[in-house]
Amino acid sequence: MIYVENLRKEFKKVVKEPGLKGSIKSFFKPKNEIITAVDDISFHVPKGEIMGFIGPNGAGKSTVIKMLTGILTPTSGKCEIGGQIPYKNRKNYVKEIGVVFGQRTQLWWDLALRETYTVLKEIYEVDNEQYKKRMAFLNEVLELDDFITSPVRTLSLGQRMRADIAASLLHSPKVLFLDEPTIGLDVVVKDNIRGAIKAINAEEQTTVILTTHDLQDVENLCDRIVMIDKGSKVFDGAIDELKSRYGQSRELRFIPADFKTAEKLDYKREFNLTDDDILVENDGHIISVKFNSDTVSVEKMLSYTLSVTHVNDINVGDADIEEIIKDIYKSGVNPSA
Amino acid sequence: MKKFFKKTHRMFKLHRIFIKQDLKRLMEYKVDFLTGAVGMLLTQAINLFFLSIIFSQIPDLKGYTFEKIIFIYGFSLLPKAIDHLFFDNLWSIGYFIIRKGDFDKYLTRPVSTLFAVTVEKFQVDAFGELVVGIAFLCVSIPNVNLDVSFLNILLFIVSVFFATFIFTGVKLITSSIAFWTKQSGNITYMFYMVNDFAKYPTTIYNRALSFIITFIIPFAFTAFFPASYFLGNGNALFNIGGTAMMAVILMAVGIFVWNKGVSSYESAGS
Repeated sequence: MIYVENLRKEFKKVVKEPGLKGSIKSFFKPKNEIITAVDDISFHVPKGEIMGFIGPNGAGKSTVIKMLTGILTPTSGKCEIGGQIPYKNRKNYVKEIGVVFGQRTQLWWDLALRETYTVLKEIYEVDNEQYKKRMAFLNEVLELDDFITSPVRTLSLGQRMRADIAASLLHSPKVLFLDEPTIGLDVVVKDNIRGAIKAINAEEQTTVILTTHDLQDVENLCDRIVMIDKGSKVFDGAIDELKSRYGQSRELRFIPADFKTAEKLDYKREFNLTDDDILVENDGHIISVKFNSDTVSVEKMLSYTLSVTHVNDINVGDADIEEIIKDIYKSGVNPSA
Repeated sequence: MKKFFKKTHRMFKLHRIFIKQDLKRLMEYKVDFLTGAVGMLLTQAINLFFLSIIFSQIPDLKGYTFEKIIFIYGFSLLPKAIDHLFFDNLWSIGYFIIRKGDFDKYLTRPVSTLFAVTVEKFQVDAFGELVVGIAFLCVSIPNVNLDVSFLNILLFIVSVFFATFIFTGVKLITSSIAFWTKQSGNITYMFYMVNDFAKYPTTIYNRALSFIITFIIPFAFTAFFPASYFLGNGNALFNIGGTAMMAVILMAVGIFVWNKGVSSYESAGS
């Protein structure tokens, strides 16, 4: 469905010296620097797959999405989606795709939400019959009914995001691009949105490309992930593969009832670990222990901790995605591996 | 041909829908609309007041009486108002749509970007200008010895139509600069303001200025040239043909620059 080959995007950036003087100097004698935002990325997404596209801030995710959606023209390389090249014959191409940028809305700010859909219906030339069916379906999965008559500017972020996703799906696109669809949302709304994405994918075999910083999104939704950093691909494969290859990075955080006894904890000796396996940080309030659940199980970790010290609070979480990427980047994985 | 017809039909349909939506928006912000319209009326009233002060001191301006000046003035407001009504969103292109990366959404819609941008705003404030313009014409026509023939009415409509696109063309070209510079609202403003000179006979200006508003930023063709034709000066070929030609040239350049700009659009980080 989606073929990306050696995709590359460069931006020209004017380099300025600091201060007003620098600004004036660069006005008369601009110095340009070429910045490579996306550097030779290739991947392929089959029809019906949900692909997670992840990487730290500034890795080039949005730039790739913008090239795939026809907003930016690549500097070099190829991308082809459903047999079409995004930046050529744009008007025809965008009928086949839906796009949501979590950070911005494409709804009409001052109008009631319902009006946005009637306008989009005309823009995408959806016939009445189809429109009714579609709205009923979208209502069901995204629960729009409660706020469909409110002006867009009065919607909460969660409502707005659901409304935006519905707007991108009105014309039954074959491919859906979601750029951070769960950013800034609470757990309940995130869950609702994940459910909706799954439902749509199951119902219509819609291919989905999703960027996110939320590992839960990836675990819940994605069949596969492509990870990029500094414009290059660093990982491409199933999520299980990532886990087995990079282990289960976990973080145990607790507030000890008494720091004196907590200092007696010695994870390295107890579990026979080296410095690479474990990282303990104590900021005087919370103690954080980063470990790998392949080496030591979460259960052992918890029971040992609790056997030594009393705690006021304790939890175990996934190390965040930035952490994993950092690890991967540091260990210098061969992208083609 | 059939395809073209279908396409135009769809464009008009979309336009109607957007206008309807904008009128609904208006109802949401009634105070804003009223202030806007009253503001426009007030501006024109003040202009008229100053003109009448000037003419209380002089009998005529290079052969143009107060009534004739009012006719030209009234004429100048029509294309300005129509451009304002339909193509006001071009200002936002130069001021923030591109700089903030909001142009993205227009590129993800299956209609031409220029159409998608302009159709989105129906600037009802312009009715203030339109009303004043028509009022000025109505007041001045009985006093300026005008030949109200069928041909002249036709030419009048034609020249207002093309004059509108002189305004739009200038805005289109200058706003498109933002695709490269990220912001060009002030450039648009600078060029647009030249239209203030068009309300008066070009003969009152020195040669350089007169040349500029005739051939470089041809706002003289939006008011003085066509209007003075109806007052019995000049010839149809230059005064009205010129208006049409300038409009076509400016729009052609504008659409060209716009399309070039769209392909070098860089979006903004998110």
